[in-house]
Amino acid sequence: MGKAEAKSREKLPYWRRILDASLPVDLSYIPIGLACGILLNASGFNVWTTLMVSIMVFSGGAQFLIASLLATNSPMLSVILMMFFLELRYALLGSSLSKYLHGESLGFTALFAASMNDENYALNYLKFSTDKKFTPREALHVEHMTLLFWTVSNLIGSLIGSAINIDLTIVHFALTALFLYMIVMQLKNGLIIVICILSGFLAAFFMVITKSTLGLVLSTLAASFIGFVVEATIRKYRPKSGWLRSMKNPAGSPEDADEDVDE
Amino acid sequence: MEWNTTQHVWLVLGCFCVAFAPRLIPLMFFRTRKIPNWFNEWMRYVPVSLFTALVVKDIFISPEYTVTLVNRAPEMIAAVIVIGIAYWTRSMAISVVLGLLAVFLLAMVI
Repeated sequence: MGKAEAKSREKLPYWRRILDASLPVDLSYIPIGLACGILLNASGFNVWTTLMVSIMVFSGGAQFLIASLLATNSPMLSVILMMFFLELRYALLGSSLSKYLHGESLGFTALFAASMNDENYALNYLKFSTDKKFTPREALHVEHMTLLFWTVSNLIGSLIGSAINIDLTIVHFALTALFLYMIVMQLKNGLIIVICILSGFLAAFFMVITKSTLGLVLSTLAASFIGFVVEATIRKYRPKSGWLRSMKNPAGSPEDADEDVDE
Repeated sequence: MEWNTTQHVWLVLGCFCVAFAPRLIPLMFFRTRKIPNWFNEWMRYVPVSLFTALVVKDIFISPEYTVTLVNRAPEMIAAVIVIGIAYWTRSMAISVVLGLLAVFLLAMVI
């Protein structure tokens, strides 16, 4: 980001900066949230239970799963059990953000944890690792901004019911594109690219084996651990190896705050 | 069996518990403890691994959890386009919007 641009951003009101930071997720939440509200309505949820689930669970994948399991009349315990496996990956998100949220108060930590999900984690992780001035408070407000868009879209979806028809596979691609963008931002050296490809194969393998999103957790644990071990080994035995050399980007990459580079 | 609202409320409360616990426990654990260096180094690989896993799930895994390539051509081509756009523009908004547009047009053509 240029200095002039940075300066003009400082002048924006606080809520506008939070909105700007979260806009890609906010906008993709509108069609997906509408679709989710419509499906929940079709599976018997009323406006109030839709409001509850969108605030208390706040996870697109989880809410779609609830809607589809209710449509097949699954027993409550099995819905909750499926939900547990689906949500287990958030433990990893929390762990990888923990160094930025170290020492915050109990209430803040609980509030932050309650509205953390894949998408706002993606936003906040990128902000924390590229912007040293980004505070946990701003991260919490980014979460709440995405929550606002999600909840309102859910409610509207629930109210209009099945009056409109949204092609879910297409709108869902907004989130896929968001994750693809995040991956590209992470690809800083050869080793990360190898780990990324490995993670893709492991993910497919574990999801087919476990027949659930528990596969996401297992593959993430395995791939990230392999990455960590290989990096440590390379640093120890071949510190000059090209696998860890930073790659150049055509448009210049946001500097990683971890690496202490001059800006 | 048709569920009533009370059962829905219980269901949401149950889901909240299993959704909240995994989000809270690691953050609580490391709130005051010193985070070991090796753990931070390990966690640095979590985002890229998790996002790749989510993308693979979105594009290649069917709702029945089998690997499928049928009817996924629009998503696959659009994914390559998004990677290119993200690489050259480094803009999240442009990547998402053009990605959606690409998958929409490709789904009509293919």
